[in-house]
Amino acid sequence: MRDRKTLRRRMNSAEAWRDTKVGMWAWLVQRVAAVSLLAVIALHLKNPFLRTVQAALLGLVLLHGVLGLRSILLDFGWPARWHRFLLLLALLCGGAAFALFWGWRWY
Amino acid sequence: MVLKVFRWAPGMRERLQKYWVRARQGMTVLDALVEVQHGSDPTLAFRYACRVGMCGSCGMVINGRERWACRTLLSRLPRGPVTVRPLYNFPLIRDLVVDMAPLKDKMLAMRAVFVPGRRATEDGGLAQIGSNARERRAVDGAVECIGCGMCVSACTMVGHDPRFPGPAALNRVFTLQLDSRDGAHAERGTALLSEDILARCHGQANCTDVCPMEISPADSILALRRRAVLRLFGVSPR
Repeated sequence: MRDRKTLRRRMNSAEAWRDTKVGMWAWLVQRVAAVSLLAVIALHLKNPFLRTVQAALLGLVLLHGVLGLRSILLDFGWPARWHRFLLLLALLCGGAAFALFWGWRWY
Repeated sequence: MVLKVFRWAPGMRERLQKYWVRARQGMTVLDALVEVQHGSDPTLAFRYACRVGMCGSCGMVINGRERWACRTLLSRLPRGPVTVRPLYNFPLIRDLVVDMAPLKDKMLAMRAVFVPGRRATEDGGLAQIGSNARERRAVDGAVECIGCGMCVSACTMVGHDPRFPGPAALNRVFTLQLDSRDGAHAERGTALLSEDILARCHGQANCTDVCPMEISPADSILALRRRAVLRLFGVSPR
């Protein structure tokens, strides 16, 4: 039919982000962490002794990893309705692991 | 209160039109739209039928989230203007009315219709599956879909990949793949493994979050994916 259009959710307005669902945030943060890791790894290879870069590397790896584990749990049959709880759990575990590793100075 | 309603008709530019409505206790978004249509603007087009949250025809995007207008109380929404848009990912007909035909088309493309198999009629009539049967309980929630299209609107992948069938069609496929009377399991199973079907779902569960019937299409898709993996390894899924 002529002159008909389909409305898509455009993410360039505040309204579009107003009710972004938790699952989408989890997906988005995991992707952003993955892309950011590329830059942080490059910085880390240039100078492995920068503490801030080390912290960023550890934090991003953990963030990407725990969100990946969350996805795997959902893939293996954990109810999708638990995805908010799983996100919270993943972030808490990631935070705890970060504190544990960062607190453990090996040099 | 202020309603900001999406307006569009063929040949016109889209816009958000403001309407002022006197909010009453227990007033829903649908009530407000009806009041606008009966009062200030009879040209405003929107769809509704049962008004009691059964049919799903008044599905709209209210303040950025897919909801049925007849069950959304104004008092439950945050203060400020209420923005009402039509469902995303469906062709617009006019204002808040969308063409639901793609929902049916995608189901047909996935053969999400019952195809009687050998077991279906082996006793003469159509074989019955008891309400307590394992295969019935496995699809208990999924069979309640009313075809409102809210999951399709909320799905980011439908907007990105037009070949992705969407949560509603895949949820329907899930119920059929578990139906022992159905005779098209292998055919659908092959289609599900193609590039734009199961592998495309990002598992964001937006569909599950917005379903007014509290169905979880995301669980149906993930269950189909597990079955597909078993099939890839030559294991017959149950």
